Amino acid sequence: MEAFAALASGFAVALKPANLFWGFVGVTLGTLVGVLPGVGPALTVAMLLPLTAKLDPTGALIMFAGIYYGAMFGGSTSTILLNTPGESASIATALEGNRMAKAGRAGPALATAAIGSFVAGTLATVALTLLAPLVVELALKFGPAEYFALMVFAFVTVSAVLGRSTVRGLASLFVGLLLGLVGIDSQTGQARFAFGVPELLDGVDVVVLAVGLFAVGEALYVAAYQSRLPASLERLRGRVTMTREDWRRSWPAWLRATAIGFPFGTIPAGGAEIPTFLSYTVEKRLAKRPEEFGRGAIEGVAGPEAANNAAATGVLVPLLTLGIPTSATAAVLLGAFQNYGLQPGPMLFQSQAELVWGVIASLYVGNAILLVLNLPLVGLWVRVLAIPRPQLYAAILVFATLGAYSLHQSWVDLAMLYVFGLLGFAMRRWDIPVGPAVIGLILGPLAETQFRRALAISQGDPTVFLAQPISAALLALTALAVLGPWAVRRLRRR
Amino acid sequence: MRRSAAEIALSLGVVALGAGAAAVSATLPAEGGYAGIGPNAVPALVSAALILLGGWLAWEAFSGGWRNAPPDDAAARGEHPFDPRAFAWVTAGLVVHMAAVGAAGFVLAGAALFACVARGFGSRRPARDAALGVVLCVALYLFFVRLLNVGLPAGWLAPLLGVAGT
Repeated sequence: MEAFAALASGFAVALKPANLFWGFVGVTLGTLVGVLPGVGPALTVAMLLPLTAKLDPTGALIMFAGIYYGAMFGGSTSTILLNTPGESASIATALEGNRMAKAGRAGPALATAAIGSFVAGTLATVALTLLAPLVVELALKFGPAEYFALMVFAFVTVSAVLGRSTVRGLASLFVGLLLGLVGIDSQTGQARFAFGVPELLDGVDVVVLAVGLFAVGEALYVAAYQSRLPASLERLRGRVTMTREDWRRSWPAWLRATAIGFPFGTIPAGGAEIPTFLSYTVEKRLAKRPEEFGRGAIEGVAGPEAANNAAATGVLVPLLTLGIPTSATAAVLLGAFQNYGLQPGPMLFQSQAELVWGVIASLYVGNAILLVLNLPLVGLWVRVLAIPRPQLYAAILVFATLGAYSLHQSWVDLAMLYVFGLLGFAMRRWDIPVGPAVIGLILGPLAETQFRRALAISQGDPTVFLAQPISAALLALTALAVLGPWAVRRLRRR
Repeated sequence: MRRSAAEIALSLGVVALGAGAAAVSATLPAEGGYAGIGPNAVPALVSAALILLGGWLAWEAFSGGWRNAPPDDAAARGEHPFDPRAFAWVTAGLVVHMAAVGAAGFVLAGAALFACVARGFGSRRPARDAALGVVLCVALYLFFVRLLNVGLPAGWLAPLLGVAGT
């Protein structure tokens, strides 16, 4: 098996003491920041991205693999104990997890979340190991037209099909695409939308956009609408372990959730929100005592948590093999690659095989570190949650400004950070999704490049996108995804 | 019929953003070599899309309000009404930090930010918050500058923090 030989060389990279150390640092910092209430994985990764500016690419990306998984586990801890889901994918966990904590069963809830994340993450990484080389082989046959069609498909599914409003999702996407146009055009060197400001010639950094929308926007929103509400933190009594009964009820849920989560992660379906709810519903249907759901059923934590982690790993398949981010977190991760001049995609598997497989191997390692680190340390993370809200948000904003400022050492980035914060505030208040804007910023320039390349090959003939069967099929699928639900609604109304 | 001034303003804001971007796109060169499209083409497309989407949002806002929008009444969302002072304190913290970080340095600007944000969230002990901010920022400064080689301004505290900063 070619994949396993490559993976073995990847482990040789990931298990180097220095890289192992960065993996540990990543998991610890990811959990520490991810556990903060209201801080989801995308924000955690964005805030910690400037940390790695001076590391070598392999070490930095291995650290990011750790941060990615740590952030997710930290998020489930705060969801269970505080009932403040940091992202939509945690809402399903909050349903049962917080009830369990209220009933004094926070320990088993955290244990099934941690062990379930490990099981699902590891199985999903095995699936990734086997699937990635196949997708790479297919992707090598893609030309610019196919790539462009695939990106359009991803744009539309993440912004228009999911969420409560097609038009608000698309508006968010196009604001992101416009921000992506700022800076020097990679093909002609023409400056666009820079208005003579040197900081803007580099383009809008994904860190500034993500941290502004998520952290500053969230802080402004919570200050304005929630700062006078009382907060209720569930206490963690006893140890983080599970009884034999808990194990018996958890492991089938973990396995089913992995089977649901991973495939959903690999397609552009907006990350982990759908599979977590799907897993919750499946567990509720199959439960021997469905009446326990709503009052703290352990399957209702085990399933969604495992689905979340499996989907998060699945998201890495299109990211690593095609260079296409399908969630806000993946978009920020792609930004991390680009900081090192690396463009994920089939070519990276050939030109930088050691690095790519090192990152994949470090996913296994990161999962294992997460398990050995978090079960004993969970008491420490819980203490982070006990920090009063004023000091907590103050610390989050110190982190947020630190990340943005360290990019160019310029106040211009801080001014942009505040403007994006105001935008994030308005988007949160009027329910405009933030993810499409982040994905548009990072994927937009890549889509433009492929668009212009495809037209250059066809000598300016725009029918090239319909002449290639794969790209025509993808564009047809995109049209169907937008118009299908609308047409069904129109027909039903008759 | 529900009609929200904020939704109308946001919708028209999207139209204005698209119109502004279209005006800038018009100044960009159009020659594109083999592709037949220049660096102005995609900006023009994105601008047009923003104008259309803003129009669609405005139409929704004028015909019964945005679809599936959160309730306008804060209590129905489980929140308290808009608190302008809290919002202003957080804004003040960010603006002071922005203005001060270059000259006063990362630690002092960060401490001011920390104290302002904590005040916005209802803390009534500014001196203690500022002290906490100093401790946090010194720790972050040393971690970033010494361990991770990221440059941060030492500012007025340069003699105390050593010459590691920039």
